[in-house]
Amino acid sequence: MSKQKLTAAGGTEPRSALLQALLDKDTMLEFDDPLGSDMVLNMGPQHPATHGVLRLLIRLDGETVVRAIPDVGYLHRGYEKLAESCSYHEFIPHTDRLDYLSPISNNVAYVLAVEKLLGIEAPPRAQYIRVIGAELSRLASHLVWFGSMAMDVGALTLLLWTFRERERIQDIWDILTGVRFTTSFARIGGLAQDMSDESAQMTKEFIDQLPKNLDECESLLNKNRIFIGRCDGIGILSKEDAIAMSASGPVLRGSGVARDIRRDEPYLVYPELDFDVITFDGCDSLSRYYVRLNEMRESIKIIRQALEKMPKGPVSAQEPKRVLPKKERIYTKMEELIHDFMLINFGINPPVGEVYHAIESSKGELGFYIISDGRGHPWRLKIRSPSFMNIQALPIMLKGGMISDIVAIIGSIDPVMGEADK
Amino acid sequence: MESIQAILNNPYVFAALMALAPLLWILPYALFAIWFERKVSAHMQDRLGPMRTGGWHGWSQSIADLVKLLLKEDLIPAKSKHGLFMLAPYVVFVGSYAAYAVIPFTSAYVGSEINVGIFYFVAVSSLVVVGILMGAWSSNNKWSLFGAMRSAAQIVSYEIPGTLAILAVVMVVGSLSLQDIVRAQEGWFWNWFVFGKFPFLFIAFLIYFLCSLAEVNRTPFDIPEAESELVAGYHTEYSGMRFAMFYLAEYANMFAVSAVAVTLFFGGWQSPFGTFLSGPAWGVFWFLSKGMGFIFLQMWLRWTLPRLRVDQLMYVNWKVLMPFAFVNIIFVGLWMMIAQ
Amino acid sequence: MDFVDIIFVVFALIVVVSAFIVVFSRSIIRSAFSLLFTFFGVAGLYVLLNADFLAVTQVLIYVGGILILILFGVMLTTNVVSVEIKTGTLQTVPAAVIVAVLSGTIAGIFWFTEWHTAPAREGPTTKALGTLFMTDYLLPFEIASILLLVALIGAAMIARHERGTEGGR
Repeated sequence: MSKQKLTAAGGTEPRSALLQALLDKDTMLEFDDPLGSDMVLNMGPQHPATHGVLRLLIRLDGETVVRAIPDVGYLHRGYEKLAESCSYHEFIPHTDRLDYLSPISNNVAYVLAVEKLLGIEAPPRAQYIRVIGAELSRLASHLVWFGSMAMDVGALTLLLWTFRERERIQDIWDILTGVRFTTSFARIGGLAQDMSDESAQMTKEFIDQLPKNLDECESLLNKNRIFIGRCDGIGILSKEDAIAMSASGPVLRGSGVARDIRRDEPYLVYPELDFDVITFDGCDSLSRYYVRLNEMRESIKIIRQALEKMPKGPVSAQEPKRVLPKKERIYTKMEELIHDFMLINFGINPPVGEVYHAIESSKGELGFYIISDGRGHPWRLKIRSPSFMNIQALPIMLKGGMISDIVAIIGSIDPVMGEADK
Repeated sequence: MESIQAILNNPYVFAALMALAPLLWILPYALFAIWFERKVSAHMQDRLGPMRTGGWHGWSQSIADLVKLLLKEDLIPAKSKHGLFMLAPYVVFVGSYAAYAVIPFTSAYVGSEINVGIFYFVAVSSLVVVGILMGAWSSNNKWSLFGAMRSAAQIVSYEIPGTLAILAVVMVVGSLSLQDIVRAQEGWFWNWFVFGKFPFLFIAFLIYFLCSLAEVNRTPFDIPEAESELVAGYHTEYSGMRFAMFYLAEYANMFAVSAVAVTLFFGGWQSPFGTFLSGPAWGVFWFLSKGMGFIFLQMWLRWTLPRLRVDQLMYVNWKVLMPFAFVNIIFVGLWMMIAQ
Repeated sequence: MDFVDIIFVVFALIVVVSAFIVVFSRSIIRSAFSLLFTFFGVAGLYVLLNADFLAVTQVLIYVGGILILILFGVMLTTNVVSVEIKTGTLQTVPAAVIVAVLSGTIAGIFWFTEWHTAPAREGPTTKALGTLFMTDYLLPFEIASILLLVALIGAAMIARHERGTEGGR
């Protein structure tokens, strides 16, 4: 066994020596094991606890992890390449499918990058609705994480409880965007539609009852010795390592680094809203657990303020050559028909240049880097996906842990493979 | 009619019938318990569980599942050790079924009235481990092997404090026979050992109950089949009827340990109200309903608690349960001496 | 033939056949698993001899303890997942000589010993065994327990030591 060459890339096809050396540096599982007492275990992509199709190659000594190598790409759909043949509008639905647990966040992140490229801004009401949508999707994503984290350590009931809450968010989305799951809600320069009073009322009712239900869910775990024992002190990612591995979001804040793009590089109307950046400096799974838990309460706070402060007004910028007009106007007004025809057939043609814009999504820093050559579709679009970056830190966290810890650590990173594999 | 009587009077035929009698309970019980577990879990999780099959609350769901499993293709992995792979589920079931030989369902029926009853129970339940190791090793799968290793380590370790807890009862009664132990708890429910010999046997009961959870691989000690870690543990490669045998064995085992807990600490087939509603027929009723109470408790725990890690599991066993069990035994001994 | 005799023959066959598999099987694991049936058969024979306590002890100690230990040993010490463990035949001639001498000796002992036979005693043996342990055989019993305790501590020490070095590497 020790003689076998085991690499994450795994293939047998010949590679150039340099490429192989580069791959080996990070992906080799082969090292001295004269007694042959170690075991190489393949975890995933078909495994109940790897959150989709994450694959891990693990070298084990007994139940202890000697080395672990994550292998991504099983959900690769080539979105970055696909973007190069989509118009800017056409790419919006694809962003839903990145982090499919928080679709509105992704929509917002993408359109903000495009708006930055165009130099336009959405009207205030649209910005508030975007904030509400993004925070709702943070809640939805964290609720799913909460349940599946509990399930990873063996508490099966909580998943259904948090899904019940998430279901209410999806009902809100149903009214707000017309779709429950893949919302495609944001538009360049605004939103697909205004927030109705009904959806605002639903959102309000939802955030009013959520804290109570969250308390109920937490009561199953927060004082549970087994749960704390399973999460405390495992998956250590020191502050320095977290920064070096470019971790972001709750993973970074769980290592005691107070970085939150909503506060550090404000976008939308976040500066006008009052919220705290949650950090815990335990650097372990438990800290990341508490970071997310408390973030949910901050999100509730943000949504409540945004609902109160939200002004009346239009939800689309007055930029006829950039922003898609309303359907009913296209059917009745000549000018809108012409703009629609031009926008659909030739795109928005932003100025030549490159732009990077990142938002704080539920998983961390979600950034879109766009290079435009002045035509209707991006010349290059790069997605900086937080899950992908956070998975980079897995080998550090897993080393020295046990098999049971692996799932608790993956759970605390909360990767969504749709986003990591793009 | 007379010939039937004559056949029944034949001691060997009678022995065979006695040996088969627990099966009359295990099979319907397992079907019911699987349905019941789904309902319990569903209601704990804000769901309804199976609602369609058979009409009323999906009562025949587990029958449908059983038929499905029976008709399913019997998959045997090409690189497994075929003989052992096929044998293993039955070894596991034999282990749990053999334990039923000494369980006193009522004052009139016990499969085999042997005077080392509880000792026999402890001994044969270790057969389950061999079956699990057999199945896991022969499936030639790393996940199975991990599950089996964990399972063996867990069951063998938890047997020790469990047996020590049983020993406390045996010391009080002065007999290893389960019927004698039940008879020693005659009268109203405060004569049951769990209440009657407070607190020593109450502690013994807690220790025994925890160990029995570990012995049947239920949460929080379900690490051998921890689905989020080991896929399905030792029965990862099994499907169809052989998987059903593992399942049946697990449920049979659940009731067996509950039955022993009932017998040792909750008065067995004794009525909780002295002589009121007592007798062999009522004895069956009391015994089974107490046993099902424990089954419900096991399900309740399973759908509430997370599971322990391997090292924490061993910690609980060796550093918590063992000292308590030993100290408890010493105190029971002292107390027995003083009481006499 | 009496019913008990039939049962005896069945148990005896189980013991002998499975013992043969233990010895002649080329796969160590298969041998270990056949040992299960040998132990059970022997336990059955004990039952037929009215030694109920002994029979249950046989199952508890040999099946629940020693067999699992053997399986653990085999599974842990070698690469079960990838390499097939086989036992081969070595040194045929010396082995044959030793076997012949040994079986001759045993046969001789069987032949020349005067066996004292007594009718089987009915009834439970547990109490009698316990009394004997605490009276006539107290010293051997205690010495055996101390021996086991020492072995236990020794095993724990060795395990601890190994773990320490592993942590250091």
